[in-house]
Amino acid sequence: MKLSLNWIKDYVQLPEDMDLTRLAYDLTMSTVEVEGAESLAEQFDKIIVGEIKEVLPHPNADKLRICKVDIGEGEIKDIVCGGSNLEVGMKVVVACPGAMVRWHGEGEPVEIKNAKLRGVASFGMICAAVEVGLADLFPAKDDHEIMDVTAFDAPAGTPLAKALDLDDIILEIDNKSMTNRPDLWGHYGIARELAALYDLPLAKFESFKPETDEKFDVRIIDTDRCPRYIGTRIEGLSVKPSPFEMQSRIWRVGMRPINALVDITNYVMLATGQPTHVFDSNHIIDHIEVRRANEGEKLQLLNDKELSLSTDDLVIADAEGAVALAGVMGGAKDSVLPDTESVILEVANFESRGVRRTALRYDNRTESSSRYEKAVDPERCDQALSLAMKLFAELYPEMKVTAFVDQYPNKLEKKEIDVDFDWLDRRLGKRIPQEIVARKLGAMGFEVSFTDTGMHIVVPTWRSTGDVSIKADIMEEVARMYGYENFEATTITTSFDGAINQLEVDLVRRVKEYLAFRCNMQEIFTYPWMTDEFVHAICESTDGILALATPPAPNEKYIRSTLLPNICKAIVKNERNFDEFDIFEEAQIFLDSDYTSEYKGEKLPAQRKHLGCAFVGSPDNISELFRRAKGVIGTMPVYTHMETFTFEKAEKPYWADETVWLNIMLNGKKIGDLALLSKKAALACGIKVLSAVLVELDMDALVPLKSRTNRFTHVPEFPRNEYDISFLVDSMVKWDDIYNTVMEKKNELVHDVKFVDEYKGKQIPTGKKSVTIRLVIGSNEKTLTGEEIEKVANGVLKRLSKSTGAEIRTV
Amino acid sequence: MKEKLEALLKEGSARIEAVGSEAELQEVKVALLGKQGSITDLLKEIPKLDVSLRPEMGKAVNNAKNLLSEMIDGKREALKLKASAIPADFDCTIPGFEPMSGGLHPITQMCYDLNDAFRSMGFEVFGGPEITSEYYAFDNLNFPPNHPARESMDTYWLEGHDSGEANDKLCLRPHLTGDSVRYMQTHKPPYRFVYPGRVYRNETTDARHERAFFQYEALIVDKDFTYTAGKVMIKSILQKVFGRDVPVRMRAGFFPFVEPGFEIDMGCLVCGGKGCSVCKHVGWIEIMPGGTPHPNVLRAAGLDPDEYTGFYVNIGLDRLVMMRYGVDDVRLFHSTDLRFLKQFH
Repeated sequence: MKLSLNWIKDYVQLPEDMDLTRLAYDLTMSTVEVEGAESLAEQFDKIIVGEIKEVLPHPNADKLRICKVDIGEGEIKDIVCGGSNLEVGMKVVVACPGAMVRWHGEGEPVEIKNAKLRGVASFGMICAAVEVGLADLFPAKDDHEIMDVTAFDAPAGTPLAKALDLDDIILEIDNKSMTNRPDLWGHYGIARELAALYDLPLAKFESFKPETDEKFDVRIIDTDRCPRYIGTRIEGLSVKPSPFEMQSRIWRVGMRPINALVDITNYVMLATGQPTHVFDSNHIIDHIEVRRANEGEKLQLLNDKELSLSTDDLVIADAEGAVALAGVMGGAKDSVLPDTESVILEVANFESRGVRRTALRYDNRTESSSRYEKAVDPERCDQALSLAMKLFAELYPEMKVTAFVDQYPNKLEKKEIDVDFDWLDRRLGKRIPQEIVARKLGAMGFEVSFTDTGMHIVVPTWRSTGDVSIKADIMEEVARMYGYENFEATTITTSFDGAINQLEVDLVRRVKEYLAFRCNMQEIFTYPWMTDEFVHAICESTDGILALATPPAPNEKYIRSTLLPNICKAIVKNERNFDEFDIFEEAQIFLDSDYTSEYKGEKLPAQRKHLGCAFVGSPDNISELFRRAKGVIGTMPVYTHMETFTFEKAEKPYWADETVWLNIMLNGKKIGDLALLSKKAALACGIKVLSAVLVELDMDALVPLKSRTNRFTHVPEFPRNEYDISFLVDSMVKWDDIYNTVMEKKNELVHDVKFVDEYKGKQIPTGKKSVTIRLVIGSNEKTLTGEEIEKVANGVLKRLSKSTGAEIRTV
Repeated sequence: MKEKLEALLKEGSARIEAVGSEAELQEVKVALLGKQGSITDLLKEIPKLDVSLRPEMGKAVNNAKNLLSEMIDGKREALKLKASAIPADFDCTIPGFEPMSGGLHPITQMCYDLNDAFRSMGFEVFGGPEITSEYYAFDNLNFPPNHPARESMDTYWLEGHDSGEANDKLCLRPHLTGDSVRYMQTHKPPYRFVYPGRVYRNETTDARHERAFFQYEALIVDKDFTYTAGKVMIKSILQKVFGRDVPVRMRAGFFPFVEPGFEIDMGCLVCGGKGCSVCKHVGWIEIMPGGTPHPNVLRAAGLDPDEYTGFYVNIGLDRLVMMRYGVDDVRLFHSTDLRFLKQFH
């Protein structure tokens, strides 16, 4: 919202030397966010009034003229101009060199320089209204008409801003910062805040007394939606422009002047925050009623939108039908028309939420609806009526009020609040003198009476529509008016009753740090919604998957029941730039089941914290990819201090390769999967080149250890020897079989066996593979000799050949 | 001859000492001990001496010869050890091997930084469900029914759960504040906790707006807590994030769940408060809302608002991370693009 400082000064007399920066800062700190404070006059720097003394033809151009222009103190300059309405004696707007103007009203402002036009030197330029941003106030009949200021009492050389009385400051307020303050949506409301801030008197509106006893017939059918309606019939009017000063004010704060009748209603709204409307009284048949629209009732708005109304819409109607959408916009047929001579002035109060619903329903938010929807108080009608009638009387001295009615069936109760001083002091952290509290609250319209231990406060109507209702609100009023900056920061004290110990929270962090810092994986974030093609690639069906009612895109309605679809999407994205990468994400998944909650009065679907990983690389070495993934996941419990889980083949995931898959098991329960993404799923995802081993793990199922559990063992006193053996076995023999054979009933000199590698191919018979293992052999009593070591190794080999058919590989 | 020998010895040892390479050493050796070497020459002169002098001089010259020979061997060993293990054309400017380059998301990093700061001040870390009922998203937080603020949050409602009573309506949480009530309902006061997490709004996205973003809230609830203590909380956060004292101001702001409510600004770090394009020439940047929990929120949590009060802050982590690194498009955070994510070490 834009505010004119001059206009504010109508209601509160700010000191002449008021520092503008200070004012903007104080308003921002205490009330609303001031986003900018701009001097209007600055825009017109080096733009002055000139008087045309002579108009001569241009020697080289038919459409151009050379004007001899008086630019003040008798100084005459030649200015080349193409204006269609140039006349001797006319006062025009001259942009002197250095001024900023918009050529033909378009583009960014450019600086005027001395120039030659078709060979003739020109001092600056004579401007059209659009070129100095004044087209709304000086509408031109055609593109070539220049701005005429002959009517203004200003001699040549007067700065334009002074001539048009545009020496004003325009404040720009962030609308978001006052959605809760219906009282601030006009100049008077802001003036009231400034009066309270600076302890200055605030001007009052006289109350209006109609001179007629004639009642205007207004029937409020829905009194909840329309608590008050004042109808005034005014005769002896005409459609004419409003005075320049009124037009100028309306224009300064961002609206367009239309004609005197409409301008009065806009002026009143901008001043008081109370919207008003005028109907041509000759078009209002019999009476006015305020009622709900009939289903499908037609109404053409002032902006020519044709509406088919719903029964939730409130309308102003006459005996024949709807004439306006209450609180939103007037109808085209019955508002001010070119021949209007008498009007019904509507000053009414409409319920906020209804106005909002209607404005949103037809995508037709207006200056009026955006004020009503903040909950304007019905008493403000009095101020608006007072100001409107004063303006009608000024602009139309001949006018007459011929009928009047004030229907106020639904009176607003003022809120009353008791505040205990002891409570206030404790919450504020300091005692503010009662005299200051009373003065500040009083200045904002609160009625304060002191009791033995506190205050009884009556809230003014304009703060009683939801804004102020409890004592915390009063505390806020006191604190902000006293000045938030006048409270010193106080330290936070605490009572210590033990260290914070959150095992689950810590485990999640350890897992993520393990993956990132030990395992070289990159964490990613994805959206909770999934793209359909990825869902279908990964999930067997969409049963049990929750969906959004209004998804971000038609093919993104499902929200994740698994992290893998979005991880696959991330693979597609990165496959273009990288040949090999490992990524992970930790996030919540949602399932259309369960519907319980540990929280009062709520039934929520199942939601669990999951970990998803992808190990991505060349399809030529699936085994390497698989071992990378298994290594990271299998080692995780050791480094992150949780109960160890195991791998098993229990249930193949839908998206997994036929052979390369494992389930992750904890205490006999499946808590995750580790598998190669099947060719079919990869194709459906659009993963073109690389292969991926995916992991998904239910983090909520993991069990953190209370403390570290691994125990220290002594460093061996005698050397341990590593001894490699290679042998041939049937290619279906598993490493687990080999490992178990070596480790079960093992010689006490064998301490461990490690997998070195396996090989199939050249020189190996079909159906066989060569396996190399590494034995760790050593004694706790002595250093073993080569012969002794070999004997142990041969023993192992013998057992292997017995249980797995292993034979020494002979080259 | 004696003098000659002494001079030769002196000169020889100096030459050996001065040698810089094995090749040079060989030259010196030849010059001293070779067939035409100076020592050899001296030996040849011995027969010319008086017989009585011969044994003594012969011994002296031989001693000198052995001495120089030893020196040469010693020098040779020393030169060998001193020599480089690799030819001299080795290039020390070739780059080192990079260590493993995995990493946490920049928002996670910021979140953990803040967790550390709050943990050190005795706060617990809490997390609630991302799907919430309307009851916990709005009703508990003093949003009146049909209040525009409910619409302004542009909530993602779930299909099949988007009508009915507040308990039945389910949505992706539009903010974190509902979780504060969950925590308070299930714990005993006084409270001191943070609850970071993802939130979702049905908005049109651009460089400054996202549908999914990350918030970080902190709440203290205690008896006789004054709102001015909230300022300490805010300063601590910013100090942690930016590593230095940052000016902070609290000004009037409205949010249904706080009373009084504040907009909290920090001094612009780009211009130092003088005014620049980043801070829209006001010297301050809006970073978080905050305030005292509204009595209705405390009631929803089962507390007596006359007894308890406190302070909320709600930080938009995306915004803070953008300021930390100068990221100019919020959508990058969910891009999953490793070329972006790998930049945050």
